Amino acid sequence: MFVNSVLAESNSLYVGDLVFYIVTFIILMLLIKHFAWKPVTDMMKKRADKIASDIDNAAKSRENAEKMAAKRQAELQNSHQEAADIVNNAKKSGEVQRTQIVEAAQNDAQALKQRAQEDAKQARRDALNGAKDDVANLSIEIASKLIHKELNADDQKELIDSYIEGLVDHES
Amino acid sequence: MGGDAFTFKFLGLTFNATNIISGLVIYAIVFFVLFGMSRKIQMKPKGAQNVLEWLIDFTNGIVRSQMPNEETGHYSFLAFVLFVFIFFANQFGLIFNLSWNNQEILRSPTADPVVTLTFSLMVIVLAHFAGIANKGFGGYLKGYVKPFALMLPVNIIEELANFLTLGLRIFGNIFAGELLLKLVAGVAFSHGALTIIPGFLLELLWQGFSVFIGSIQAYVFVTLTTVYISRKVSE
Repeated sequence: MFVNSVLAESNSLYVGDLVFYIVTFIILMLLIKHFAWKPVTDMMKKRADKIASDIDNAAKSRENAEKMAAKRQAELQNSHQEAADIVNNAKKSGEVQRTQIVEAAQNDAQALKQRAQEDAKQARRDALNGAKDDVANLSIEIASKLIHKELNADDQKELIDSYIEGLVDHES
Repeated sequence: MGGDAFTFKFLGLTFNATNIISGLVIYAIVFFVLFGMSRKIQMKPKGAQNVLEWLIDFTNGIVRSQMPNEETGHYSFLAFVLFVFIFFANQFGLIFNLSWNNQEILRSPTADPVVTLTFSLMVIVLAHFAGIANKGFGGYLKGYVKPFALMLPVNIIEELANFLTLGLRIFGNIFAGELLLKLVAGVAFSHGALTIIPGFLLELLWQGFSVFIGSIQAYVFVTLTTVYISRKVSE
């Protein structure tokens, strides 16, 4: 029955084709395996491996990045704190310096004022003393002039000279 | 179809020159297409490599859906080559159908029952060998009395039926397709301009359908191949 159904299409059962197709198909499989299948499937396997390792690496590097970010955040917070400290310290030391400078200036001014007052007092005293001497001298001179009114010309001249000398002395 | 089979005898065996010439042409086409697609293999695929990888994935998918993962290794390669060869063989007769001196030279080799039964014989023999290699001869024989001893004759008939249907299904589809193409062409040229336009359209339609049938038959053949092998190998 089977032989008849096959023979119905062809005039004779060509068994040779069977052998031909089996042999050539096996040769084709060997050729394709060597030239096309092997390189492509190897590459596909390699790619699959690479993708798997890439995924692992990506997870690892993400972890690292997260750690780094946390570290940066902490450092940033620290540096904020530090900056605030520095500013505070600077403010405090500035305040201290300001009060010191003001105090020193006030002290200086006080001392200057005192000395000036003392100088002024001294000058007044000196002036008073000088005036007293002058008054005494003047009164003495007036008195001596009144007394010497009766003198002669020579005496007069002498008197004038002495007076001028006294004046010069008094001036110097 | 286009004349008598062109047979000759060699070493006591009868050969059909039509099948041998067509087969060699298709082998060359299959080899050079796959060879050309696998030239510049890169980690990042481009152009033809993408097509080839898609094809390999497709046949691998057929095999994976039928058998356990650890068995797929060699059978996925067989499925790949079988699919590509049968696909090209099925489409070949739609494009090249050459006759000379009333003797066919080129046509689909799968439109010949001897060729299709050769492939189904190859597959069935491979399946039985794989079964013996995998489960031992005792385990292989036990497969015939499953699920119970009374099923023995049914199982034996089933094996024979598998062999015949696997080969004759693809032969019937491709042979009928090409026969109808010939008939439509004959009608188209029978009454000059009156029939040539509808004949042309009908031929176009049927050719498109035959491309579809050829692809489906290649897919069915490979799927059944993996089913038969996995049935012998697994359990």
